[in-house]
Amino acid sequence: MLHVCDPLQESCCFSLWFQFFEMALSLEEEIRRQRQQMHMTVYAQCISPNGKYLVAGNNYGTIAVFSITASLSAEANKETWKPLVSFKAYDGAIYALVSTEKFLISAGCGDIKGWAWTDVFQKNPKVSWSLSLPASSNFGAFETNALAYSTKDNVLYSGGGDCKVYAWDLESGTKKETLSGHTDYVHCVSLYNQSQQLASSAEDGSVRIWDARTSGEAVHIIEPHKHEECARPQHGKWVGCVSVDAGEEWLVCGGGPSLSLWHLRSLTPTVTFDAPNCCPQVVTFHEDSIISGGSTPFVYHWNINGDPKTKVPCTATRVFSLAVNTESESNKVLCVSGNSSLIDVYTNFGYRAFSLDFC
Amino acid sequence: MQCGLAISSGYHTSLAKMAAPTFDFVNARQTFSESIEEARQNNESDKLKQQSTAVDGSEAEKKVALDQAFRDVMMNLVVKGSGCEHFTALINLSIEAVHLGICSPATPFLLLSDVFESVTINICDKVFKFVEERVDTWKSNVLYTSGKNFLLRMCNDLLRRLSKSQNTVFCGRIQLFLARFFPLDEKSGLNLISQFHLDNVTSYNTEQLDGPLKSEDKDETMEVEEGEMSAGTSPIDYLLYRKFWALQDYFRNPTQCYIKDKWRVFQRNTKAVLGAFSSLKLDDVTASKSQDETPTEKHVFFSKYLTSEKLYDLQLNDASFRRYVLLQFLILFQYLNQHVKFKGAQQVLTDDMSQFIKTTTETVYDLLKETSPRGEEFAKTIQHILSREEHWNTWKNEGCQSYIREKPDATQVQPKPRARKRSLGEELRINAPNKKIDMGSPELTRLWNICPDNLEACRAENRIFIPTLEDYFEDAIEQADPGAMIEQEYKVVNNSNFAWCALRLLARRSPYFFQTITSTQAPVKSVPSYLEMMVTKLAKDMPQTSIEELKTEAVVEENDDLLKGGEEGLEKSNFLLAEEVDAVVARLGENWKTLAVELNFTDEEIGNVQTENLEVKEQARAMMAAWLVKEGEQATRDELSKALLESGLNDIIESVLSDNGKTDL
Repeated sequence: MLHVCDPLQESCCFSLWFQFFEMALSLEEEIRRQRQQMHMTVYAQCISPNGKYLVAGNNYGTIAVFSITASLSAEANKETWKPLVSFKAYDGAIYALVSTEKFLISAGCGDIKGWAWTDVFQKNPKVSWSLSLPASSNFGAFETNALAYSTKDNVLYSGGGDCKVYAWDLESGTKKETLSGHTDYVHCVSLYNQSQQLASSAEDGSVRIWDARTSGEAVHIIEPHKHEECARPQHGKWVGCVSVDAGEEWLVCGGGPSLSLWHLRSLTPTVTFDAPNCCPQVVTFHEDSIISGGSTPFVYHWNINGDPKTKVPCTATRVFSLAVNTESESNKVLCVSGNSSLIDVYTNFGYRAFSLDFC
Repeated sequence: MQCGLAISSGYHTSLAKMAAPTFDFVNARQTFSESIEEARQNNESDKLKQQSTAVDGSEAEKKVALDQAFRDVMMNLVVKGSGCEHFTALINLSIEAVHLGICSPATPFLLLSDVFESVTINICDKVFKFVEERVDTWKSNVLYTSGKNFLLRMCNDLLRRLSKSQNTVFCGRIQLFLARFFPLDEKSGLNLISQFHLDNVTSYNTEQLDGPLKSEDKDETMEVEEGEMSAGTSPIDYLLYRKFWALQDYFRNPTQCYIKDKWRVFQRNTKAVLGAFSSLKLDDVTASKSQDETPTEKHVFFSKYLTSEKLYDLQLNDASFRRYVLLQFLILFQYLNQHVKFKGAQQVLTDDMSQFIKTTTETVYDLLKETSPRGEEFAKTIQHILSREEHWNTWKNEGCQSYIREKPDATQVQPKPRARKRSLGEELRINAPNKKIDMGSPELTRLWNICPDNLEACRAENRIFIPTLEDYFEDAIEQADPGAMIEQEYKVVNNSNFAWCALRLLARRSPYFFQTITSTQAPVKSVPSYLEMMVTKLAKDMPQTSIEELKTEAVVEENDDLLKGGEEGLEKSNFLLAEEVDAVVARLGENWKTLAVELNFTDEEIGNVQTENLEVKEQARAMMAAWLVKEGEQATRDELSKALLESGLNDIIESVLSDNGKTDL
């Protein structure tokens, strides 16, 4: 067949070769994709303003949008648990995501980027605006680890590798304040509900409480590793997560030191939540309980008095992000992500119902 | 029903007319009806009897007519819509009539079923109260045999009529009545071949629900119209919901588990459900609080599950719901594990299946234990109940043998032990001459008859287990010798086993044992030192006894016990020596005949000796020789001297026998 010199045959041969080449390429692509999936970590999640979508960002700089409504519906199957749309947003990892009424804001290595929800829903995401950090290290831009958005005055707070917390006026797109004082990189930023204050926790082992209106020194400094109740020298002094309750009476933080509840007025630790071998990475107040996750494959639910409520197993062996959908009652789920491409969804917060697949 | 009554009465009429043309059935029925009516109002059954005898006709004919009259009256009452006390009064009357023998025993039951078939459930309820009260009447001999089938049919009809969800109490009353009415081993209510109630289908929402989002829509654009969803409904985990309710089908029909594919689905669903249960810990605090508030909380009971998906989240958080489901698992596993006679040959568990069942059962029990309130107790109770269920199952496997022990059996069993008791002594007496005693079983008999005389058997030589002092202490004595140069710690006296045996032996065999205890010496400090002391004492005794032993070996063998501490050489004198016999012969002379008489020689023998030997001396010698031969070992000095004494030959005793010292005389 081959030595028949027919031009048509020849072109056929070429196309076969081409197909083979393409196949080899796609195979390589597939292997790469699977390997990436194996080593994927989902650091950040946020819920869309209407409460119907979950947005997640991973360590490869990809943002994926999942439909919570579809995945909860009766005819849900493996396909509906895959992202509706996913797009490459960063070269490096994405560490923080927040949503505002109009924008999805992402942060990681490099600029803070805003994506209009309307574009995202139309599966045509594009960067609406971006904010660049003022300083840069010798090895490129500093990373941003945490974001917090204040709806009242439309201000975004960010904290990261340069040990500073910035306040950005989203109206004008300018940097309003710089809150400096931390001596190591910032892990987490948490806003107060009513008053213009915010708390940040950092690798230096301190939680600093700032008055957001001025750029002065921190108002208070909490150092959990200096308190016997919660100090765990074997795990270090870093504080990985901080959260303030809606009544602005309690603050919960943890990391190297065990998770502890602080009375804000007296700045004293009241109870510690004892989860052995778990360094909390994320904590949040939900209704009358505290939900935390960290270096163990469990999501912990605590009563405010320190009693453990439950310990619910999850897929990821390290938990980095918890997202409770408070926007919509019918979609009120808890989403848990960590060092796995699967994002666990808890309908009843007591057991894992299913997992969304970040592929 | 009235129609039915009319037809049956018509049938009876024609039957009666054909069978007995002389008997005026219609008339009799009419008169009976009137008299029943009368008797019912006055409550007099005797009148009815008189009436019945007044009418001509055979007994059977009159019975049929009266039965029919009763049913007519009942029909009238029902048509008139009378109260239940009228019904019961009539039935009572019919019962009396049965006892008087004027109507057939089935009549009261026919009347009852007529009533139950033609009145409303409310009145049935009241009439049934009457039935319950008269359970003893129905069980009486006259009524039971003819009535039991009627009653059973009546009750089953009634049960079929009642609603299973509305009339649960009435249904239960009927069941209880049946249980009281029928004997324990009545099998009519038994699920003999272990069938499943397959109609009990639990339906749930398997439909593709109208999700708030159609999948087609969202592929185009993700923009969603607001307000489409009703606010306030919490999210539903449809996946688990379906898996969960799909399990109910396995509980309904467990044989499905033996089908490979279905088992795989079952296994997957079970894992998902139990995983959710174990992950979702129920709130202990609220449970214990409610327990404190209402310790005797009224238990709610549902005969069916509510399967709405909207309730599912609440159900997952409900302790009693969880218990129901976990118990269902246990019951299913119990069935799968059990040997049930009616299982098919292919319905066998594979190894994987049994392994799964085993581990899952453990998980289920663990879950039950942590389900408050009082989970531990609940789990234990369930375990107990399920073990009882096993008995029930084996009973059914054995073909439902009667629980009631039959009477002849009981009478047979009782006299048996009595008869045996009486015969035991007799048997001994009967068998005594044969020296063979029947012990009941051949082996026991053989063992017993090895040596029937127990005391003799005990005295047998091979039953002497106690060693002699010398044998036992041989080693200890050797070691006690300083010349042996044995270290203190290696001596046998330090061995506790040796010491214990030694003490026991000393107590039995040695005179020193008690001496030391009563002596005024200081008490011994330790057993080894005491033993050592004893050993030295024994060693001192030892040489003498061993020498004497050599001398009197034969004697020792014969009378071992006498030898101990006794006078040696006593027995020696009992032996006649040849010289003594010669001396006696020499002195006997003519007197040998008198001695021979004393030595139990007969006249004939004496005559023989005389004829064989000529000389007197020879004769005496021959006689003594014969005596020695005849008596053998019994020919002792004592015997001889006794005989000499008897024959008045005291001088010979003195001159010959007393020379050698002691005699007993």
